[in-house]
Amino acid sequence: MKSIAVLVIDDESVICDACELVLREKGHSVDRCLTGSDGLKAIQSGNYDVILLDMKLPDIDGMEILQIIENNHPHPCVLVMTGYSIMSNAVQAMKLGAVDYLAKPFTDDELIEAVEKAYLKTDQ
Amino acid sequence: MTALSDFEGYFQVIRDIQRAVHRRTSVKDVLEVVVTKATAILSAKGALIRILNRETHQFEVRAACGIGERYLHKGPVSTEKLLADPLNYHSVILINDIWNAPRVEYPQQAWDEGVRMMLDVPLAIDQQLVGLIRIYLTKERKFSPNELDFIETLAEQCAGIIERVRFLENQQARFTHMAAHVDKLSSLGRMAAGVAHEINNPLTGILLFSSNMAKKVPAGSQIQKGLNTIMQETQRCKTIIQGLLDFARDVKPQKKKADINTIMRSAIAVVQNEFRLKQTHIDLRLSASMVPILLDKNQIQQVFINILLNALQAVGRNGRITIQTAVVPRQQQISVVIADNGCGIAGHVLENIFEPFFSTKAAGTGLGLAVSYGILKNHQADIRACSEPGRGTRFILQFPITTERPIHREADEIHCCAGY
Repeated sequence: MKSIAVLVIDDESVICDACELVLREKGHSVDRCLTGSDGLKAIQSGNYDVILLDMKLPDIDGMEILQIIENNHPHPCVLVMTGYSIMSNAVQAMKLGAVDYLAKPFTDDELIEAVEKAYLKTDQ
Repeated sequence: MTALSDFEGYFQVIRDIQRAVHRRTSVKDVLEVVVTKATAILSAKGALIRILNRETHQFEVRAACGIGERYLHKGPVSTEKLLADPLNYHSVILINDIWNAPRVEYPQQAWDEGVRMMLDVPLAIDQQLVGLIRIYLTKERKFSPNELDFIETLAEQCAGIIERVRFLENQQARFTHMAAHVDKLSSLGRMAAGVAHEINNPLTGILLFSSNMAKKVPAGSQIQKGLNTIMQETQRCKTIIQGLLDFARDVKPQKKKADINTIMRSAIAVVQNEFRLKQTHIDLRLSASMVPILLDKNQIQQVFINILLNALQAVGRNGRITIQTAVVPRQQQISVVIADNGCGIAGHVLENIFEPFFSTKAAGTGLGLAVSYGILKNHQADIRACSEPGRGTRFILQFPITTERPIHREADEIHCCAGY
């Protein structure tokens, strides 16, 4: 598997730490942002394959960020993370362009599988 | 012979009472009008109305006129003496000898008040004595049939007023109780949703780190076992929170026309194996005249499974669970009764069984019935439970029939709270 460039946008640094550890060990590169606005800036300047986006951020709503990414940056694919475990929420995110969703909490294997699948889906 | 002016007087009294009722004054005020007007028209010394307090079984004074405080303060009258004569619930009892009448509790005090004769007019509803009008006279006299007829009419009016007020009070109490219950559960639900989201974040950290570390430690080591336990327990928390969110979230059910009997059969199929293992007998009595109604069949199946599993846990080996469905055309509803002959639920526990996190089971999350309650409320359906420790528990579910045309067919026999 090629190294995937991942950006984690989550206001919980513990979750960023954990995602970074798990994905780096698999040979992927990881950047992180704790707010939505920082995340959007990072997407603009960086070149990411997969965005791991939390749906509940302190400054901008996850759905709104998703829309901005889809409208302005067609390349990175977005995987949403949701703490509500609500299907309708995930379905709405996928309608807006997210490739898949991860219901919190998830294991390392679930994270790796979701990120790699998302990358392969958009790469084809 | 009664003079025309007497009839006019009677008419005015009845009219004044009716007016008091229509002015929606309190029952006490209406009864005050009754005693005052009755005293005046019968040229009596006074009158009082006693109403049966159903909790203390005593007749308490609710309205009085023309009677001294000393006499009134003698306290309530015991039931036995007034109930002694059940044949006379609808006729006036004349008491000419107040010293020797068993119905008169305090003859000395009455005599001191100047009372020489009394009239007892029972207030009865459906052959049940609910109160009494007593009229006090300063001298003995005869009463014409028309006068007695008037007094009886007065009593019927009073009984009607009391019945109406009691009905309204019961309705009000039931409504307040239900509203408080719904409010409590919905605020718990809102709070639970917030808490669930906040907990899922730390759980993500725990699960990611522990699942990652478990791969780095020697296979089969104590550390790996410990990490596996952390992972399992975290997954368990996830399940609990999922259940809580299911309870809290106000998702509209995906309703389609479905047959409750079919849903019940599919729910039984899911739990059948567990029933077989515990050798529990299912007595299935599904209505032959079931009508399809609008339901989310997955959600309703979940409710049935929850209740069936609770019943299974309540019964011992060789337990019996009775499942009954019925169409009640008169109330335009379908009822489902799931009864077991298990250990039963104590009264103080029964009050709380639909609340989230309330569980008496060691391994229970306390969400099964809370989720079921939420689902049923979204179907405008009702659920209640009655139970007797040692005999069993009975869950009664009532679904409104949501078809355009009312159904007219024979009601299925169903008994809500009798027998387990």
